Amino acid sequence: MNLVLIRIDNRLIHGQVLETWVPFVGADCIVVANDEIAGNQLKKMMMQASVPSRMRVEIGTVDDCVALLKSPQLDKCRTLLLFGTPADAVRAHRAGLEFTNLNLGNLHADEWQAQLSCTLFLSTVDLVDLELLDHAGVKITARCIPADGERSWRKLIPAAKGKA
Amino acid sequence: MVSGLFIGAVISLICGLDRVAILQVMVSRPIVAAPLTAFFLGDAMVGLQVGVMVELLWLARLPVGAAVPPDDTQVAIGGTTLAIILGERLGNAGLELVLLCLLVAILLGKVGQYFDHFARQHNVRLAQKVDAALDSGSLLMAELQHLRGLGSFSLAALGTYITIITGGLLIIPILLPLIQQPLSYSSSWIELALPLVGVAVILGTVNVSRAITLFCASFGMAFLLMWLV
Amino acid sequence: MVIPRKTRVYIWFRLLLLQASWNYERFQGVGFFYALLPGLRKVYAKEELLAVSRKYTGYFNTHVYLAPLVAGAVLKLEEDHAAGKLEQQVDIKDFKEMVAAPYAAIGDALFWGGLRPLAAAIALFFAVKGILWAAVIFVVGYNLVPAWFRTVFFVHGYRRGIKSVEFIQQHKLPDWAIHTKEAAIVVLGGLSAFMVFSHLTELQLPSWLGMLTLIPMVMLGLVARKGVSTLLLIFITVGSIFLLGLFWVDMTQLFIMLGMDL
Repeated sequence: MNLVLIRIDNRLIHGQVLETWVPFVGADCIVVANDEIAGNQLKKMMMQASVPSRMRVEIGTVDDCVALLKSPQLDKCRTLLLFGTPADAVRAHRAGLEFTNLNLGNLHADEWQAQLSCTLFLSTVDLVDLELLDHAGVKITARCIPADGERSWRKLIPAAKGKA
Repeated sequence: MVSGLFIGAVISLICGLDRVAILQVMVSRPIVAAPLTAFFLGDAMVGLQVGVMVELLWLARLPVGAAVPPDDTQVAIGGTTLAIILGERLGNAGLELVLLCLLVAILLGKVGQYFDHFARQHNVRLAQKVDAALDSGSLLMAELQHLRGLGSFSLAALGTYITIITGGLLIIPILLPLIQQPLSYSSSWIELALPLVGVAVILGTVNVSRAITLFCASFGMAFLLMWLV
Repeated sequence: MVIPRKTRVYIWFRLLLLQASWNYERFQGVGFFYALLPGLRKVYAKEELLAVSRKYTGYFNTHVYLAPLVAGAVLKLEEDHAAGKLEQQVDIKDFKEMVAAPYAAIGDALFWGGLRPLAAAIALFFAVKGILWAAVIFVVGYNLVPAWFRTVFFVHGYRRGIKSVEFIQQHKLPDWAIHTKEAAIVVLGGLSAFMVFSHLTELQLPSWLGMLTLIPMVMLGLVARKGVSTLLLIFITVGSIFLLGLFWVDMTQLFIMLGMDL
């Protein structure tokens, strides 16, 4: 297992991931851990079609992905792992996937409580989940694309609370 | 001078809106915007010079999703306008003046990103007004809210342009006499270096494996051919 | 109720304003609603229209040049839905969300990442030569492809409805994007060589010196890969060239003085 980036992005695979993060971290494999996409053949196919064929793409449920990452299958790849929500990241962490860094990209909760940055709209549940991961020792940072500065999510919270 | 600034502002508005809000036919690229400005200000070649220098610099910064790239449109337009207008006022100071105007524009153009952020943040309110309009049953009002977004983006474009122009008009006349002589030793090299910096950034960030190898091979090959001919 | 051709043309023009109210909460959502509204008006009666509109004003984001394809397909689906012809339970909102992100990824790679640098690199050859038409060449040359995508695929989307997604699976556009990027890099290599070579010839310096430019360029490229901002790189480069210029002049003056003294 060689995870070069773990990111929460509700749009999963899109331009920011493919055009900026992939060259930045030098990834050659993308793992998408999302139950909804994994369960829908058409969605899965669409997502796979948006990635160049020289990159390996694995789309599965959160549990499948954790199992895949723990197996030696992807040992030779530089893997970029994508979650759709903080809840999925917590599930993966509980299932025994070890990671120390977590990148927050885009999150658009419909009933959002706190806006951390331009692209992070968190619901109450999201906040609780991130808090859990934070306590487990994961370093959570908000960074939309590599050219943006990296900011700890803790530092963004007070500003968000002031607004909400 | 005032008419020149006004022409610059009109082009800044049109090209600025092309960046995000409407059309996206790429008249916002420096290689188009700068010569266009310069053409209307009566010295098209200056615009072409600025266009070549700015075009590649931030070409690697893609407007992906919510990411806001630096505003090279306003840098190109502001830099060109300053160079031509100050050229007329201070006597034609040549390449050094163009370079100085461009560097000042690049530095001040940084505000463009912030203005763009404000515009996009401000437009969140419009989205909420659309909801309200639909609640009250008025589709026309909802449609109009969308067009109001053009206002925010226009203000952002003009704000950046005005910042660059005001700053430039204040700083450059003071700076030019001090720096013109020392800058003249290296000005042509700087003119060459700026596009090359842009190319280097593209090489560093493009999503192609072995981009640098490919580039070096192509560069060497072309160089060899030109040397042979 | 079929959406008349005139209305579809009107919708196409409205799509040019897609991002006019781009915002961090809905992205292109409101714009997409704005563009489709004339079509929805034809399909739904007044009471229903408001409810349907709400469905469209939410979060939506795709690539501007591929939005017409989504819009065309959605219009077809709405038509069929109103006519009760929709096979199975296709959720239109689900459909537009499903295609949005993949289309965005494909469009970003193909147009912003590939085509734009390629067109710019080619146009810059003309610009460096001092040909003012470079600007026109860029705009016309670049827009040929987006114009094709915007018009032809709008029609295609409307004809094929939900099946319009097939084109993306068949044509391997992400691989095309990579080829375009590689082409752009080759052209940029030639362009850089040309600029360096003509500069050296102009100054009557030995041309082999130009090969040395590769060293700082590769270094800058590697630094840029680490995420250093372009603005910083610009000022470091300009600053060092400026200082080198001063140093060079001082040295030549020194030699002249020494030569005179000796």
